[in-house]
Amino acid sequence: MAYVVVRRDARTQSEGVVEGYAQTAQRWPAQPLARRAHGLAELTGPRLSSRLKTTGADLAGHGARRALGQLIDLRVSIVDEDGAPVPGAMVEIWHCNAAGKYIHPGDSNDAPEDANFYGAARLLADAAGRVELRTVKPGAYPVPDTDGWWRPPHIHFSVWGRVWLSRLVTQMFFPGEPLNERDPILNAVRDPQARGRCIARFVPAAGNALVYEYDLVVRGRNAAAELP
Amino acid sequence: MKPLVPTAEMTLGPFFPREFAAGANDLAAGAQGEPIEITGRVVQADGRALDNVVLEIWQADAQGRFDNPAFCGWGRAATDSAGMYLFRTVRPGASRGRAPHINFLILYSGLMRQLQSVMFFDHTTDPVLDAIATGRERLVAKKEGASRYRFDIRLRGEGETPFFDD
Repeated sequence: MAYVVVRRDARTQSEGVVEGYAQTAQRWPAQPLARRAHGLAELTGPRLSSRLKTTGADLAGHGARRALGQLIDLRVSIVDEDGAPVPGAMVEIWHCNAAGKYIHPGDSNDAPEDANFYGAARLLADAAGRVELRTVKPGAYPVPDTDGWWRPPHIHFSVWGRVWLSRLVTQMFFPGEPLNERDPILNAVRDPQARGRCIARFVPAAGNALVYEYDLVVRGRNAAAELP
Repeated sequence: MKPLVPTAEMTLGPFFPREFAAGANDLAAGAQGEPIEITGRVVQADGRALDNVVLEIWQADAQGRFDNPAFCGWGRAATDSAGMYLFRTVRPGASRGRAPHINFLILYSGLMRQLQSVMFFDHTTDPVLDAIATGRERLVAKKEGASRYRFDIRLRGEGETPFFDD
């Protein structure tokens, strides 16, 4: 077997029924999750480059003019638990516009759309396991039917690693946002260091866009590294 | 070196782009093997059917291979407003030590992270199926006609689908 996947540590992950997020009480299983041994079915994975089409990497340049908002460059590294890059990792990215409005028809937020912005990208990591995205910083928005819950600015990621159990779906946050402290989703990660790693790093740089760096660590280590 | 901690998973949220959820539920096109359809309803604790749930599958080819370059055993579907999903694929073969099965991954708003389950075709012996203490019959799809299988998923409550933590 080429890869091993170490079990999740519940402190560094989010799961279960979360206070302040009502739908979790309807949807997270009440029964304990079962454990299984991992074989080929779990420790192999799809090669998606022929199955899913990639998109452009500039969400702020969708229309005739630049999208409204603060222009940002996002530099994302996809690595495994050994810190080794995952070249060719498929990455899906989506987020709302600078006013807090998604392109999704289900978004009822009364915020303006921006014809020059399109908040969805699918990119393939390069040989160094990196993807770069130009976009605008997403706005905060209120969550319907809650007592004043506002989502902090965040960007959604869906990532495939080397094997089926590498699959990672998460959200990236921005440093210095007061709403980060009160967000039930970010704070469902109990370990403060693990939570901190969900926040991008601001990198001072010349140019007309603010630069942020972010690391995504996906499961699925090479078993050879485990040998004595 | 101390291994890096995997990034914390978080909920898919309600606004996963529609164009990402659509168009990847047919694995059968051009594939060798017995074509089948898998369909089912996804419901939550109070029995309400859930719209726009994202389901992904990973399976072996008809010979039980996971590394067939001519068959990508991955697919994705989203439920409709009645909570129903549909995959077209080929029936997987038995692979090393395992009965024929299809891995399911479920992503949704209100699920803090992915849920994993497995669909089987028969009441049989399998190391993963045998890991389930109660409700293992819920992992066996119901046959509805010659090439159609029904695999319902109840996230929580009476008749809850067994899920795995890895």
